Amino acid sequence: MAMTYEARLAWQNRLLLLPGLVLLIAFVLIPAGTAIWLSLTNEALNGAAALNPRFVGARNYVRLFTDGGFWNSLFVTFVFVIGSSVIGQFVLGLFAAVALNRPLAFRQVFMAAILLPNAVPEVVAGFIWISMLAGGEHSTLSQVLAPLGVPSQQWLQSAPLLMIIVVNTWRGIAFAMILMTSGLAAIPADVYEAARMDGATARQIFWRITLPLLRPTIFLYMLVSTVGTFAIFGLIYTLTRGGPGGATEIIGIYIYNQSFTAYQLGFGSAVAVVMLAISALLGALYVRILKVEV
Amino acid sequence: MVIRKFSRAQATSYGFLFLLTIFCLLPFLWVFLASVDPNARQFLQLPQGLTETHFVKIFTTENGGRWFFNSLVVVGCATAVVVVVGGLGGYALSRTNAWWKRPFLYAIILVRVLPPTALIVPLYKVMLTANNVMRGFVQSIVPADWVRPTMQIVGFVDGYLGLILVMAALQLPLALWIIKTFFDLVPKDYEEAAIMDGANVFQRIRRILVPLALPGLGAAALLTFIAAWGDFLMPLTFISSAELQLLPIGLFRAFLRVNDVDYGFLCALALLYTLPAIIAFSYSRRFLVQTFAGGVKG
Repeated sequence: MAMTYEARLAWQNRLLLLPGLVLLIAFVLIPAGTAIWLSLTNEALNGAAALNPRFVGARNYVRLFTDGGFWNSLFVTFVFVIGSSVIGQFVLGLFAAVALNRPLAFRQVFMAAILLPNAVPEVVAGFIWISMLAGGEHSTLSQVLAPLGVPSQQWLQSAPLLMIIVVNTWRGIAFAMILMTSGLAAIPADVYEAARMDGATARQIFWRITLPLLRPTIFLYMLVSTVGTFAIFGLIYTLTRGGPGGATEIIGIYIYNQSFTAYQLGFGSAVAVVMLAISALLGALYVRILKVEV
Repeated sequence: MVIRKFSRAQATSYGFLFLLTIFCLLPFLWVFLASVDPNARQFLQLPQGLTETHFVKIFTTENGGRWFFNSLVVVGCATAVVVVVGGLGGYALSRTNAWWKRPFLYAIILVRVLPPTALIVPLYKVMLTANNVMRGFVQSIVPADWVRPTMQIVGFVDGYLGLILVMAALQLPLALWIIKTFFDLVPKDYEEAAIMDGANVFQRIRRILVPLALPGLGAAALLTFIAAWGDFLMPLTFISSAELQLLPIGLFRAFLRVNDVDYGFLCALALLYTLPAIIAFSYSRRFLVQTFAGGVKG
């Protein structure tokens, strides 16, 4: 009954993959399936529904689409992702990469400074920015802007969404810069040489050569960064917890608040399923458009 | 003409980078200054002296040592689990040609993009169920007054084991991908030569595969460590006892104390908590591009 060498190898491979598969099934796939099931029940953390959850069909979803809080969180998430990852981090990261691509003094210092915010844990980032934003006239931002004639204010109250976009931009410039730097390195030097020979200005070179040749890198960045920004939780939770009045309640925070503060697990799960669906769509896009080789 | 233009571009670069550096570093200034300022406040100010009391307080009046220990245990174990499980799996994924290879790798990418915040509620239910099963098992084998301390180690809710496994599972997809990519670069010839020479599986792993895949395993370990060390949602949701608290939650809770917010202590704690993350990050830099681009180059 000796197995052939190939059959033994095939079994060996399956066996080696098994522990990882078990972990992923237990802690990712089963929860994802449970989310779908929970979203069809009136499950709650307390009250009668906690002891005896009932199947309620699509009721949570009907409620979802008429719920102002849900639409608000989708809108806030959208603005947050566009503002911080598509605009803020990308533009600053791209310019930083282009600027650092030439021989400059203190190149390493600039680079380290830009990388530092990226290394900081989410809670610390939230905490650090308290001093920048909270405290009215004493806050660092108010002090910096006062000479420019901007009235001092409680920034997290007066412009909460803009502030979390600024904070998340601060955190993520490094990621955009790293990716764009690797993209720039892949552009052959003789392309620039030829352009300069033809008398192209720095601006023309940037718009006509650098940007088009960076397109694949930019696309990769947009997808990965969108997925990452979508999943942010700790940063916003420490800064505002979604407040004031839902102004910074991105979808992850909304799910958490609905489930663990309002105790409505069924409803929270319906929101979670919508979020999972959007993420899966982005993931499929990632595989399709970037033609992932496996 | 040409030279003047070049230097203008140079000047623009310097100006832009200088402003960007201020934006990136200014928030840190307060943390550094306040952590040694005996009179630390919420606002940026020049220290009125130098003191180490805030750092001392972390380990004396406060439970900082315990938080550090818990974080190190949980994150360290999660990293070890990811390296071992991801190492085995990544090797199998690299070597197999079975029909499930492609679907599995695509599934990994999908799992990688699912946000933990969307999984947290059902995950909590799954963990609660697992915890009850584990409690029944523990109660049947240890004396009654040992149940609680044992559950703090092997429990799934409010216990080390559950948090370790969850953190490991969440980081596993990326690790599998990185390690698989590294094994793809290790030629099969080495292994086949070793088989010819009569080396058994364990000898092959120890002498050939691990040394050759060390950069991949190291990259996976570093990225797992960074992600798990900085994770906030999982410890927030799954740990409730004070003695099991991790650093991020210790910092967060200390910050929420209404009457007694000691900014000097908070800044000192934030600095100590951030230090390992920065060290790990600086080592991981050269892997970062590969991992983010991981999906593209395969």
